[in-house]
Amino acid sequence: MFLLKPINKMWRGLTVFGRVGLLILVLLIFMAIAAPYLTWQPHHASSGPSLAPPGGAHLLGTDELGVDLWAQICYGARVSLIVGLGTALLAGLGGGIVGTFAGYRGGWSERALMRLIDIMIVMPDLPVMVVLAAFFGSSLRNIILVLALFSWSYPARIVRAQVLALKEQAYVKIARSYGAGALYIIFRHLLPELLPILAVSMIRLAGMAIVTEASLAFLGLGDPTSRSWGLIINHALNFRGIYFTPYWKWWLLYPWVFLTLLVSSLALLGRDLERIADPRVAKG
Amino acid sequence: MEYLVTFLVILTMNFFLPRLMPGDPFVHLSGEAGEEIAAFTREQREYFTVYYGLDRPLREQYFRYLAGLMRGNLGFSYYYKNDVAAIILGRLPWTLLMVTAATFLSLLLGILLGSFSAWRRDSWQDKVTYLFMVVFSEIPAFLLGSMLLIVFAGGLGLFPLAGAMTHFASYTGWEKIEDVLHHAALPVLTLSLARTGGIYLLVRNTLTTVLGKDYMRTARAKGLREQRIRYRHALRNALLPLVTRVALQLGGMVGGAVLVENVFAYPGLGRLMREAVFVRDYPLLQGIFLVLAFGVLAANLLADLLYRTLDPRTREGETYGKQKAAKTEQKERSHVPA
Repeated sequence: MFLLKPINKMWRGLTVFGRVGLLILVLLIFMAIAAPYLTWQPHHASSGPSLAPPGGAHLLGTDELGVDLWAQICYGARVSLIVGLGTALLAGLGGGIVGTFAGYRGGWSERALMRLIDIMIVMPDLPVMVVLAAFFGSSLRNIILVLALFSWSYPARIVRAQVLALKEQAYVKIARSYGAGALYIIFRHLLPELLPILAVSMIRLAGMAIVTEASLAFLGLGDPTSRSWGLIINHALNFRGIYFTPYWKWWLLYPWVFLTLLVSSLALLGRDLERIADPRVAKG
Repeated sequence: MEYLVTFLVILTMNFFLPRLMPGDPFVHLSGEAGEEIAAFTREQREYFTVYYGLDRPLREQYFRYLAGLMRGNLGFSYYYKNDVAAIILGRLPWTLLMVTAATFLSLLLGILLGSFSAWRRDSWQDKVTYLFMVVFSEIPAFLLGSMLLIVFAGGLGLFPLAGAMTHFASYTGWEKIEDVLHHAALPVLTLSLARTGGIYLLVRNTLTTVLGKDYMRTARAKGLREQRIRYRHALRNALLPLVTRVALQLGGMVGGAVLVENVFAYPGLGRLMREAVFVRDYPLLQGIFLVLAFGVLAANLLADLLYRTLDPRTREGETYGKQKAAKTEQKERSHVPA
């Protein structure tokens, strides 16, 4: 139970907003993991009348093919979380390595990398991703790859700034004057300082990735074999005249609520942790 | 210069994407993916390969592509059987209208709410506004849009559900403008709301910093009226970073416009983009992407120039590095995902 202490410490540092965000997040993760035990209807096959309102055998009603919505949402949570986690890990790791390298090496390689980052920033992400997803096909793996490809610049910039600051610290300079190698300094002295800010930026990346995946799914570029929340919303919105029927009250509303909950809880938690990990960011 | 490089990178990507794809353009033209229909004989294939210049070395193809773009040739759409440039030109005004209107509206809202929060920093009003804006800035634009659509257009029937103007109606003059505005109201509102969060946070932060500066105390000591202090001394100085911010946000704004247009079936480029995705019309898709990217880059360049004339500190040549540093710092602090 060595984890308990830091968790307790973190909990105390959070504001009310952050705590609520964390709780919702834990609940949603639980929902995704325990999806088979929480649902009693198949999530990919028809199990009743189409467009049934909530109640009875269908907790949240059914869609136009008679597929249970609660089951779809539970399994859809897996997709959203995998996308968020996968992108955050890939982009965080890649961005971290690039940032450390740029900050530590300096010189022309740093300048080249910073220029590349500048290019990534001005690029309109969503249209680029639409084009890439359209060309390379929209499997879940491709979507995660494309998302990671366009979000590594954010952690890279933060990590580089931090490495630049740390490099000037006395203890790092002393270690180097004793003849410590670059790898030793990076792993021994820099990494412990970098991990918290990297973790925080990864939370934000996850939020962004989930939103973007939902947006791509909404534009018809989701992975048709894995029903994410965005895809459910896409199907609902494509239903003719959904705004004039009562169907939106469950078909559109529930995935909407869950997506909003997930994204805003990630944002609130992220902002809070940012404040803890780096007091400068919170002020500025 | 930076922007030129970026644009070249985008162009190059655009050039190589179709060439990296597995398969052969003639198979693609002649049948559904995978199945090879014998619609082209061997001779025909060779003829077309030469006709489209696909037998030339890659370098030559690349320069031909660039030269074609310079002349405004964006390619030919398979689906609409028309020039990509012509289709895009027809749709562009709607997107432009939406993006400019939403930019101004979100600026206005962001500045108003941001200064409201900064002057009442840490009161309950500030906290409520803050929570509200953080949540709002995270909700993706298309979710916000679909809710507004249900409440105001579906439920209350106050606004039209889709489109940019009433079809088959022959309005003239003022009536026509009114009709267009009526249709644009909800999409623009959605886009502005989704984008206000970032501006709000920036105004709130810079204004708080400015309020702590020495010249604010001086102004108070001079006995100036509160109004004058707030607007002439504080707000004016806090607004400068917004110039860069708005330009940086434009990429996100364009992404948001793509989504919002689809929610409201608004006939702009975003809608066209989805249609192109749907029928896999690659030349059209690439054309739209190029136009959007070009617009965003041009706006960024403009903002840079504007900043240089607005801020007297950056007017002398050698302080350019300083402005650059300020800009990157600002980017780091104010990252808001699309």
